[in-house]
Amino acid sequence: MFSHIIYSILSVGICLLAGKAIEYFLPILPASLYGMMIFTALLHYRFLNAKRIQPCIEWAIANMAVCFVPAGVGIINHFELIKSHGFMLITIIFLTTFLLLTFVGITYQRQLNRHNPTIKKELNN
Amino acid sequence: MIFFILLTLIVYQAYVQLQKFCQKAWLNPMLLSILTLIPLLVFFNIPFEHYYEATTVLNGLLEPAVVALGFPLYQHIQTIKKQWRQIVILLFVGAVITIAISFCITIYTINQYEIAVSLSLKSVTTPIGIALTEQLSGNNSITAFAIILAGLFGALLGPPWLSFINVTSPKAQGLAIGAASHALGTATISRLSYEHAAYSSLALIISAVVTAIFSPIIIKILVHFL
Repeated sequence: MFSHIIYSILSVGICLLAGKAIEYFLPILPASLYGMMIFTALLHYRFLNAKRIQPCIEWAIANMAVCFVPAGVGIINHFELIKSHGFMLITIIFLTTFLLLTFVGITYQRQLNRHNPTIKKELNN
Repeated sequence: MIFFILLTLIVYQAYVQLQKFCQKAWLNPMLLSILTLIPLLVFFNIPFEHYYEATTVLNGLLEPAVVALGFPLYQHIQTIKKQWRQIVILLFVGAVITIAISFCITIYTINQYEIAVSLSLKSVTTPIGIALTEQLSGNNSITAFAIILAGLFGALLGPPWLSFINVTSPKAQGLAIGAASHALGTATISRLSYEHAAYSSLALIISAVVTAIFSPIIIKILVHFL
């Protein structure tokens, strides 16, 4: 069990480091995204052992939201901003976020329904 | 320093238990932790910078966490392979439209270029958002604020809204939330299923690339015409 944890940490760590290297030459995307793609590729081409990694990754993904809390608390710094344009900003953010959500969601759902009419029937039952 | 990390973890874990006990989706531990810590810091007059510095470790763990999101993606690669062209086009169109609309609405209502740029960059993962904001002379604070809100709105309200408008497939829900709410959305939605997480991660990557490459062009064109 312990060795699985080390294996998982090392795998993710190496992918992240590789990502940082790529980011240095190609700063279009952040290191973590390059790392994510490398991680996926290594798993796909069986360079990494998915079975060993799975429990750790599942735990990590289930608990990762806690890492976003400090960033979220960062809104404290923006109280002044909220006071001046607050309502308008929040409204625009809210509406355009939902616009994007709705557009992507509905369009892709339609494409899926077209390709798999049987699934649509199952969902409706 | 350890104190703030422990505090964050304890508060978060308390809300996780609360949610388990009450079985309510809206008792989101992340949101509740944020809503608890903000008043605490304000009440005890703790400057945010102090808290932020103390919790650098947690923040730093975000990078490997995003890498870990490659696992659900790997699990669903076969299905994704069949449809990647449609997905890329769809996300491209979605990103372009949203950037343009956000920018235009902000210019018409608030009429400040800085704010308009920042708001149009909110549906992308934070490091890219900030980098682009600097490139395009937006306001970093506003971008960060908008990104957090976009993340929270999509992560918490997205799934119920999408179900309501009959977008029920985990693939479609995942894709939509990854596009609109980036890593925050992906992390939250992965609790629903790994299929959600896979498509969310995919949308996260593609939207990031599209936004990074095309947002400067779009904004420059809009500035020219407005």
